[in-house]
Amino acid sequence: MALAFGAFAQTNEVNTPVELKRLSLEDLLNQDVTVVSRRAEKLSEAPSAVQVITSEDIQRSGATSLPEALRLAPNLEVAQVNSHDWAISARGFNNTLANKLLVMIDGRTVYTPLDAGVFWDVQNVLLEDIDRIEVVSGPGGSLWGANAVNGVINIVTKSAKDTQGLMLEGGGGSLLQDFGAVRYGGGNGTNLFFRVYAQRFDRNDTVFPNGDDADDSWDMSQGGFRVDWYSSDMNTLTVQGDAYSGSEAATNGPTFVDGQNMLARWTHTISDTSDLTVQTYFDRTWRQIPDSFAEDLETYDLDIQHRFALAGRQSITWGAGYRLMDDDVQNSATIAFLPPKRNMQLFSGFVQDEIALVPDRLQLTLGTKLEHNDFSGFEVQPSARLAWTPDERQTVWGAVSRAVRSPSRVDSDLRTPGTPPFLLAGNPDFDAETVLAYEAGYRVRPLDRLSLSLAGYYNEYNDLRSVDSLTPTNFIIGNGFKGQTWGFELSGNYQVTDNWRLRGGYTYLNKLLWSHRPGVLPSVREGNDPENQVLIQSILDLPAHFQFDAVGRYVDTLHNPHVPSYVAFDLRLAWWYKGKVEVSIIGQNLWDNQHPEFGAAATRQEIPRSVFGKVAWWF
Amino acid sequence: MMALNLRLLFVALAVFLCGFRTSQAQVSREYQIKAAFLYNFAQFTEWPTNAFANDHAPIVIGVLGADPFGRALEETVKGEAIQGHPLIIQHYHRADEIKTCHILFISQSENRYMEEIVRSLKAKPILTVADADGPVTAQVIIRFIVENNKVHFRINQQAAVQAHLVLSSRLLRVGEATPSNGRAP
Repeated sequence: MALAFGAFAQTNEVNTPVELKRLSLEDLLNQDVTVVSRRAEKLSEAPSAVQVITSEDIQRSGATSLPEALRLAPNLEVAQVNSHDWAISARGFNNTLANKLLVMIDGRTVYTPLDAGVFWDVQNVLLEDIDRIEVVSGPGGSLWGANAVNGVINIVTKSAKDTQGLMLEGGGGSLLQDFGAVRYGGGNGTNLFFRVYAQRFDRNDTVFPNGDDADDSWDMSQGGFRVDWYSSDMNTLTVQGDAYSGSEAATNGPTFVDGQNMLARWTHTISDTSDLTVQTYFDRTWRQIPDSFAEDLETYDLDIQHRFALAGRQSITWGAGYRLMDDDVQNSATIAFLPPKRNMQLFSGFVQDEIALVPDRLQLTLGTKLEHNDFSGFEVQPSARLAWTPDERQTVWGAVSRAVRSPSRVDSDLRTPGTPPFLLAGNPDFDAETVLAYEAGYRVRPLDRLSLSLAGYYNEYNDLRSVDSLTPTNFIIGNGFKGQTWGFELSGNYQVTDNWRLRGGYTYLNKLLWSHRPGVLPSVREGNDPENQVLIQSILDLPAHFQFDAVGRYVDTLHNPHVPSYVAFDLRLAWWYKGKVEVSIIGQNLWDNQHPEFGAAATRQEIPRSVFGKVAWWF
Repeated sequence: MMALNLRLLFVALAVFLCGFRTSQAQVSREYQIKAAFLYNFAQFTEWPTNAFANDHAPIVIGVLGADPFGRALEETVKGEAIQGHPLIIQHYHRADEIKTCHILFISQSENRYMEEIVRSLKAKPILTVADADGPVTAQVIIRFIVENNKVHFRINQQAAVQAHLVLSSRLLRVGEATPSNGRAP
C-alpha cells in the first residue's frame, strides 16, 4: 500500500503558525504538507536504497510510457524487448517474467499470480498525472509483502486537486506513430476535486537485426477518473479507476488485451501521531495471446493500516490485508495451466515498530510481515533497519531482511505442451524463493545543490526456481538453485546553476547461481543482468522559454544469452508559449540506427532510433 | 459462495466509504506553511521607498478571493514588524478594491481571472503570489506549488523587476527561479 511507504518516517515537526514562522526558508521547504502523509518519507533520512523520480524528471526526459519513465531510476534494470514488452528488475534476475519486484500504482498491486510478474504493456498511466515514482531497491517484504524481494516500485499520481482545468496533448513520429490525450479537472474549489482523462496511442514496429519490420506494432486506448474529497481535516477519501483496451500485432495474429480497475481509499487522522487507512480495490485484466493462452484475472483486495505512538519514542504501524484472485486461463496446444481456473486467496498482516533510540539521531525499525498463500502456506518476512543521522545533511543506515517470492501458477500449474505427454510440468510442491539481504548505505548533501546516495548489498538466495530432469524427456519445475549477489548503487542530484540540473547514477552487480542437486538444468529464465549501468539526465532551461534536455545511459553486456553492451541517449527540445502551450521535439535512442536490449540473437528484436513531435495545451 | 459473499462485502464497503460524514474543515497545515512563507517573503523583499507613506507605515499582506488561511495568517504576522513596518492583513473581493498593498496572495478562487488581475496591477510595486498549481499563472511573481507533499515556490524574476521589487538572493536561491512560463511541477 502506498500509504505504508512512510512507515520509515521520522518526524519532528512544528505545528503552530508561530513555530512555523520561526523556521528558515530552507526548513519551511522541508515541511510536509499533510498530517497523513507526514509519514511520507524524508528521502534524506530513509533507511533504504530509495530513489524518487519526480514529475519534472519524467516530463523533461521525453518519456512516452511508464517503462521509459522507469529508465530514469538508476537503481533499476530496464530493457525493451520489443514494441510492447519490457524486462524490468532491480539488483538482478531481469527477465520479461521478472518476478522479484513489487509494483504498485496508487496502492494497487499490478501483479499477475500467473507468473508473479508484471505485464508492462497494460500498465499505462497518463504521464502528466504522475506526481512521483518511488523506487526502492532491496527487500521491502516486511512492509509490502511477497514479491518485494529485490525491490518495490510505487507509482503515485497527483491529487485531482493538482490537475484542475483542461489539458490537451497530441503528436506523433516514427516509432510512436501517433498519440493523444485529454484531461479535465474540476471541483467545488474547496474540498472536492475530480479529473477525467482519456488517452490513445499507436506504436510502430521494432526491427529485426537485418532491419526488417518485426510486425509488432500495437495500440492502446485508456480512460479513467479520480475523485479526491477532503471532507475534513481528519478525513480524506480517494476514489479512482481506469479502463483500457488494446491490440498487439504479431505474425500469427494479434494479442488482445483489456481491463478495468477501481480503487477507494479512506484516510482518517486520529491525532498527530495516529491515523487509520482503509483501502479496497477491484482489478480485472484480460489478455488473449494466439497459440498460447488467454487469461482473465479478477483481483479483489482489502487493506487496513493503523499507526499510533507508544511511550513517546515509538511509532507502531500495523496492518492486515485480504486478497482474492480469480484466475481463469484458456489453454492451447502449446501451453496449459492445470487446473485452468483457480481461486487464490492471500491473507497478510504486518507490524512495524520505529524506535527513536536517540531522538532525531538514531532510529531502529523492526518489522515483520506474515502472509498465507494457497501455494506455500505461511511465509514470514522480518527486517531490522538502523539509521544514524549525525546531522541534517547525512544519514548512515544498515539493514538485514528476509523476503520471499511466493509461488505463482507458472511454478505450480504449468504444462507444456498443452496436452499429454507433457515435456515440462509445474510442481504443486514448489516452495517460495527466499532471500536474506544485508544492506548498508550513506546519504549526504555536501552542498545545498548536491545530494548523493550510496547503497551496497549482499544477498543470499535459496530455493530459486530450476528445471529438474526426471527423465530425458520429462522435466519438472523445482527449487534447485541457490544464488548470491552483491553490488552497489551510487546516485546523485546536482543543481549546477539555477537553470541547469543533472541527475543520475551508476550501479554495479555481481551475480552467481549454482545448484548442488543432480539433474538440474541451467536456468536461463532466472535473469540476464548487466554488471555495470550508468545513467545521466540533464535538465536545462534556456532563455526565450526554451528547454533543452538529455538522458544518456550505458548498459553493460548481457551474457546468457549474449546481448552487446550499448549506449543510448534521448534529446528533447521544447518551447513554451505564454506558459500555456508546450511544443516539443524528442529523439529517442539516437546513438545508433538500432540496438538490441534483451533476448537471444536468433529471435530478438531491436530498438530503432526514433523521433516524434508533441504539442500540449493547458487551458 | 465465499467469493460471492466477498464481492458483496466489497460493494458494501464502497458504499460505506462514500457515506461517511462531512465535518467543518479546519485550516490545513498546507496553508499554515504557506502563511509562514508569506511572512518570509516580506522579510526578503525590498519595496521602492514610495511604496510606504512613511517609515512606520504597515506592510499590507492582501488576500484576494476566498481566504484559505483561517486564522493562520493573522497568527503568523501578529506582533511582527520588519524594519519598523508592522504587518497587517487585508481582504479583497475584487482586484479594483486594492489600494495600498505590498504582498497580494491570489486565492485559488480567482484562478480564472488571473490574467485580468495581473493586468490591473501592472507596474504597481506589489509582490503577487499565486496559489495556482497549474501552468495557467500569468505573470505573477511567485507561484506556490505543492510537490512531493512539500510546499515549494517558483519565482518569475522578470515580473519582479517589472514591479520594481528587489528580491533577495537568498529568496531567489531557495525559490526555484524558472522562466516565466515554467510548467507546473
